[in-house]
Amino acid sequence: MLAKNAKNPPLSSATLHILLALAGGNLHGYGIIKEVVRNSDGHYRLGPGTLYDNLKKLINAGLVADVPTSSSSTRKAASAKEEDRRFFSLTREGKDVLSREVDRLQGVVTKARARLQEARTGRA
Amino acid sequence: MNRAVSRLAYRVILRLHPASFRDEFGSEMQWIFEQERQPGAAAHLFLDGTLSLLRQRFKSQNSHGQLSIASGVIITGPGIAPVRFFQAALTLSLLCFGLMLLKLPNPLNASVTWADRMPCYTVTLQAPSHAEVVLQSAP
Repeated sequence: MLAKNAKNPPLSSATLHILLALAGGNLHGYGIIKEVVRNSDGHYRLGPGTLYDNLKKLINAGLVADVPTSSSSTRKAASAKEEDRRFFSLTREGKDVLSREVDRLQGVVTKARARLQEARTGRA
Repeated sequence: MNRAVSRLAYRVILRLHPASFRDEFGSEMQWIFEQERQPGAAAHLFLDGTLSLLRQRFKSQNSHGQLSIASGVIITGPGIAPVRFFQAALTLSLLCFGLMLLKLPNPLNASVTWADRMPCYTVTLQAPSHAEVVLQSAP
């Protein structure tokens, strides 16, 4: 049931931010936290408990995968002390789900703008 | 708070997580805790860790149909509801007993203490001696 929810939009804020962070490349947990802060201009901050709880759901749903330890090319940006951390990547299915969610949000924004425009013109 | 103390406290929170979650992500969470050195980060991490603990314990309880207590004791099936009731009653009792010991004034009436308002504890404390009297008078 959790896996089904993780795949079907609307996604939770945490799920959306994690998928969005991983869309930029493979990251370890702390990298995801920093990326989420950067993407949200500091307005959304994930704690490790929330992060790994969501990552577990996403892994079970097949949207996120563990990066094998030997995959050095994906870890070239990591410093020596980060090398032994667990890295995560977005799967093809994860990209599809993120894409669908972005489309859905875009639809919501378009409708919201139209409504606001109507309200403005109605008032004028 | 001292860094060593906060590190130890966070480790305790992680230790209380279900073993499956702790084994999979515990070391990563501890590492993130070590990396976070911004002012105010410790409070955020403690809150997140506590919420995570409650979430994982609740999930663990629901998925296995059993209540696993931090000490490792497992109580299964229909025993859960009475245990929860007992835990809630015990917590409430200890809280009231603590207030009685402190002799805090009743906020509604400053002249009356909590001890005056809770005669039930007098009954509870006297119960053993009453039982003793009954036993002695039986033969």
